[in-house]
Amino acid sequence: MSGGPGERADAPWPAPEVHRLEQVMGTVVVIDLYTGGEPATAEEYRHLAQARAILHRADAVFSTWKPDSPVSRLRRGEIELGEAPPEVREVLELCAAARDASHGWFDPWAIPGGVDPTGYVKGWAAQRALDALLTSRVTGALVNAAGDIACHGSPAPGAPWRIGVADPASPGRLAAVVDVAGAIATSGTYERGAHLFDPRTGAPASRVASATVTGPELGLADALATALAVGGAEALELVESLDSYEAFMIGTDGAPTATARFPFAAGTGAGSPGVA
Amino acid sequence: MRRTPIVLAATAAGLAGVLGFHTKPAHISFGVSSGTATGAAATGASSPASTSGASAGTSSKAATPTTTAPAHASPPASAGASATRTATGVVVNYNYGLMSVKVTASGKKITHVSIAMLDDGGNSLSQSIDQQSIPLLEQQALQAQSGSIQGVSGASYTSAGFAQSLQSALSKLGLK
Repeated sequence: MSGGPGERADAPWPAPEVHRLEQVMGTVVVIDLYTGGEPATAEEYRHLAQARAILHRADAVFSTWKPDSPVSRLRRGEIELGEAPPEVREVLELCAAARDASHGWFDPWAIPGGVDPTGYVKGWAAQRALDALLTSRVTGALVNAAGDIACHGSPAPGAPWRIGVADPASPGRLAAVVDVAGAIATSGTYERGAHLFDPRTGAPASRVASATVTGPELGLADALATALAVGGAEALELVESLDSYEAFMIGTDGAPTATARFPFAAGTGAGSPGVA
Repeated sequence: MRRTPIVLAATAAGLAGVLGFHTKPAHISFGVSSGTATGAAATGASSPASTSGASAGTSSKAATPTTTAPAHASPPASAGASATRTATGVVVNYNYGLMSVKVTASGKKITHVSIAMLDDGGNSLSQSIDQQSIPLLEQQALQAQSGSIQGVSGASYTSAGFAQSLQSALSKLGLK
């Protein structure tokens, strides 16, 4: 496969100077750092340690799997919000903003068993980890939390980050390739069974096979991808109206739809023979 | 499409070859604290062991492990908190086939996580693979077909299956 004229799609990409796999939050988080061909210094590794700590802290505070995590205790009514670590309130406020922005299609308060910010936390934590990585030497950085990806800079001068979107109907194949400037998140029932809830009925629901959102911030992108997976075409309209966020979804019938400015990589896109 | 299982199998075999079996614990062991590893089970319903394709996570809220096991879960045939124990998690259905995870613990510390069984629908593999490899296998398979991408969005289902099996293995070991 090749890109259009002037594209360097087939150029070998430089390997990141730092490549770290972190087992956290129920998955593996990939951290890639590019420092312009120069070796990373102790400063970058200090920042890397901070980024890792952010991920583990988010896991410890927000895990609904750890019975003794502050969020688990909050869900059981054992503690008040005021007794939880301050980032719980911060995330719940961001969740409320995401709920409003998505017209209620993303709603952590509608999940059976009590408020569950899980749909926001992974992206939020990965974004914060990314922000912690940046030093003056870093020319490109990427944090990939099981397919929810935040990135900064670029992997090579003048080259965008190019991220594949998994084809929900065909494991091992891509449905699209996307130029990503900030964040990309994908949601779909194929990931974890019916883990999406329709806030309007309280029942597990999904109207699409796969829902992808790009934008400047991964927490909101993650929440909007969830909203899109639940709300389908209605939610796509909504994302269309949001500045800086774009959406791409694949229906249960396999039909792709996208907002007008979704950043498909040149020579790829919904239904492109080159990728599908 | 036809090539994908081959790519995956080759990747798995390659990793296993690189990592060795039990001869290089430094490469295949993780100093994972039990707390961290427990959190790894983000989705897992600790369902009864079976090969049913029960989707991960549908009933996860009800499946909080009840094992509040004390520190020493009476390790077999050995005394001391550092006795080594091993448990294999339930077989889960992930998108390429079936897999299960094996966990070895010394006292309360997980010393080794590996793949006990991996069946991609034709090639039955029983290999010790870096626990971080499996969630990345499909990403590698995806990236292999498109050499110019830096990641894949929407490909976490394998790690969900991994976490589900891992969780059940941890439960068996009394590590929550």
